[in-house]
Amino acid sequence: MNRTMMSDLALLIPEMILVGMALGLLLIARRIQKMPVALAGTVLAAIAAALASGWVLSWGSQTGFGGMIIVDGYSQFFKVLITATLALVSLLSVRSFDGEKIPRAEYHALLLLAATGMLLTVSAHDLLPLYLGLETMTLCAYILVGIRVERPTSNEAAIKYFLLGSFASALLVYGISLTYGVTGTTDFAGISASLSQHGPGSNLLLLAAIGLVLGGLAFKIAAVPFHAWAPDAYQGASAPVAAFLAAGSKAVGLAALGRVCLSAYGSEAPVLSAVLAWLAGLSIVVGSIIALSQSDMKRLLAYSSIAHAGYALLGLISGTPEGASATMTYAFFYVFMTLGIFGVVIALGERGEELDGYRGLAAQRPGTAVLMLIFLMSLTGIPPTAGFAAKFVVILSVVRAGHMVLAVLAVACSVVSAFLYMRVAVLMYMNEPQESAPARLPVAVFAALAAAALVTVIGGIFPGRLAPWVVSP
Amino acid sequence: MTPYPVLTTTTFLPLVGAALILLFASERLARWIALATTLATLAASLPLYLHFDKASSALQFVESAHWIPSWNIAYGMGIDGISLPFIFLATLLSVLCIGASWAAVQVRVREFYTALLVAETAMIGLFAASNLFLFFVFWELMLVPVFLLIGVWGGPGRVYAAVKFLIFTLSGSVLMLVGIIAIYLTCGTLDFKALALARANLQPAQQGWLFAAFLAAFAVKVPMFPVHTWLPNAHTEAPTAGSVILAGILLKMGAYGFLRVSLPVLPHGVQLFVKPMLIISAVAIVWGAYVTLVQTDVKRLIAFSSVSHMGFVTLGIFTLNRSGVEGAILQMINHGIISAALFLCVGMIYERTHTREIKDYGGVAKTAPVFSTLLALFCLAAAGTPGLNSFVGEFLIIGGAFRTQVWLGTMAVWGVALGTAYLIWLYYRVVMGEMNPGLAGLKLELNAREIATLAPLAVLAVCLGLNPDFVLSYLRAPVAQLLAGGVTP
Repeated sequence: MNRTMMSDLALLIPEMILVGMALGLLLIARRIQKMPVALAGTVLAAIAAALASGWVLSWGSQTGFGGMIIVDGYSQFFKVLITATLALVSLLSVRSFDGEKIPRAEYHALLLLAATGMLLTVSAHDLLPLYLGLETMTLCAYILVGIRVERPTSNEAAIKYFLLGSFASALLVYGISLTYGVTGTTDFAGISASLSQHGPGSNLLLLAAIGLVLGGLAFKIAAVPFHAWAPDAYQGASAPVAAFLAAGSKAVGLAALGRVCLSAYGSEAPVLSAVLAWLAGLSIVVGSIIALSQSDMKRLLAYSSIAHAGYALLGLISGTPEGASATMTYAFFYVFMTLGIFGVVIALGERGEELDGYRGLAAQRPGTAVLMLIFLMSLTGIPPTAGFAAKFVVILSVVRAGHMVLAVLAVACSVVSAFLYMRVAVLMYMNEPQESAPARLPVAVFAALAAAALVTVIGGIFPGRLAPWVVSP
Repeated sequence: MTPYPVLTTTTFLPLVGAALILLFASERLARWIALATTLATLAASLPLYLHFDKASSALQFVESAHWIPSWNIAYGMGIDGISLPFIFLATLLSVLCIGASWAAVQVRVREFYTALLVAETAMIGLFAASNLFLFFVFWELMLVPVFLLIGVWGGPGRVYAAVKFLIFTLSGSVLMLVGIIAIYLTCGTLDFKALALARANLQPAQQGWLFAAFLAAFAVKVPMFPVHTWLPNAHTEAPTAGSVILAGILLKMGAYGFLRVSLPVLPHGVQLFVKPMLIISAVAIVWGAYVTLVQTDVKRLIAFSSVSHMGFVTLGIFTLNRSGVEGAILQMINHGIISAALFLCVGMIYERTHTREIKDYGGVAKTAPVFSTLLALFCLAAAGTPGLNSFVGEFLIIGGAFRTQVWLGTMAVWGVALGTAYLIWLYYRVVMGEMNPGLAGLKLELNAREIATLAPLAVLAVCLGLNPDFVLSYLRAPVAQLLAGGVTP
């Protein structure tokens, strides 16, 4: 190997750490089925990958593999977010193996490989590695959704997710090929350079390409009208896997959208912002309203995550670096509050999956109820929680872009969603318990919940502590 | 100067108490910690009164620190003569709330006092905030504790009332958020002092929209006609402490918002909206009073009387003359004292009789002379009897109203007359006449703790009635500054 190959490979150290751990776990899979070795390995690998990504960035922003892979502040931000998601999800998974025939090592290996795909996606500087990363992630996600093989609902969810996911991948690939046809390249810088030569909106084929790529990516974040898979997949999957999809898949989809919109198709800003505004507005309205009628907690959170995808997209509408960093802030806080609320669902076991299971929780488990209240407040966007800071920046960005109607629509829907989230608070605090108290939290789940709550509260009080390292693509 | 940051300490001390209760305390200890915290908060705020410069209209006790530098938003505290009386009211009423809940709250005691103390932080912080962002944070922070206070420890219709309260107030405040963001983008700052200078950047038409956005939040909180419908539910179903906080402080937050944001920052918006504001205020006064007359539930009656009384406040503010605005602020304080006292009285008697229907009462005076005397004092004060506190505020507001439009003054006087009618009639039906047989055998007289809870309010009602200058002297300079800022009727 020559030196450039070595330095190129060095850019992928975080990814290699995760892959290495995944392969290692698979090798010794049979010996560790009864022990939490896989959990420890996954958490360690996640921490190592996060540190490594910081180390790699400390050599300076650079591209490798002929400009296909980029290491910059933007990719580093999402890498830390993804590895944090990975660590928290594996901590939250400790209960999944009780009474289920889920192979521990394989489960964690799949999480690690999915996270590898995510890391690859956020550091892609070319449509092809972007696609490869997303497919790696989604392929593992299909299996994770269906990993509870003995449950018909789990199988059904996996098949639905797979069918719709393949359709979305096809859209994305078609969009990529059309882009290649128009510009002769799949490299972001190349696309941007080629597009700047003719005026925006002049090439119909290109507009179709952009629409297809955005559609394929919108599927990953479950934005309306590409959202149909999310409620079924979340409901059929185990709660930790649903959390992984809701937090990780969404963060990665947003990262890819941000990169594509700003680096590659930036010169088509008017079309992009119109498409994104519609995606965002529809997601917010549909997600908030349909969530109201749900009684299954994971389905409810699926619709709520659809609405949140819409809020996060608001930042990208402006097409400016400030807007993108607003979306990044939203994605960051959203990940932690989502993992937190799924953490409570997981902590309550079977009881947590039904809305009625929250009746009287405050009387039985006051501590868990307070945590839940914090996450609910954050999802509603009530200060002093991180959800407020997140909503503030994206609405700031959308008002700055001049979309006043969209801003009012967004805040109006946050009142609708307040009704939804506070209904859970009503059940917890203002109803009598009907079921016996849930079991005590395992230490791992408690640690994950505490971490999520800490970020949600501190991020709300001092959003600036996190904002300095928000950088744009 | 003071040796410690007074406003920050006063604001966040209750939060420390809340954390202590939530993390460590047993149920018995929770009450004592809560009482100690509220008393300590009251004590911590003392330097505010000792070192306050009444002649200055500028913000005093200013504190500022970096908060979110990347958004150019600072942490800023500071008070002027308008906010000081409200801080006093908030700290005082919090102590009294603990006193009123001592025996009444027996379930989930720890959570109750935690919610109460978080609400106290939000109340004090709102009046101490010196920038719009912090103002909004405290505004919203108030929401969840009060939602829980109503919904967990309230009466039979508590859940409906709590959710209605939440949805109404949130609907208003999210529009305010958009308004704040629009101001931030146009003026580049959210600091109240800087905004008074930067407001020139806001075009008159834009100010109209902004005024409407802020109006949505403030009108719900005040509450102004016709978005007052959450109030009777919330006040009636809330536990006594909740009603006291709602009537005593929460309603004032909206009117304070008009004084702190709308008048100084959006003068053109105010000019655009002043007529409709005056009209709906007058409607609220008279219509609210008529609705109050027909109530059969004691608590609901007092709740509806707030609609009428807050109508006086908004009427006074939008007369935009000195007499009206000073009267409005004084009236806010007065209403905070009196409606809190009335809710406390009702709560105390309810603990013994477990009924709120007026027809179940009668002849209470025979067995509870102290209670009856205090209730008489507060009813007379609420009715605007000369010598008691409300008289001065209402007099100033009516004076201001006559100066603006004669018919407004007439409406206000009409409202006062109706107010006397429903209060005296209430007092007559509850306290006088023959003893209701249903009350026989009940020990209705107040105990020492309850008398101690009501006494400070009684003293205030008399003192402010005899010497309103206690409050008015603080208001003169800032109100003059407010009205000199270019807002003309």
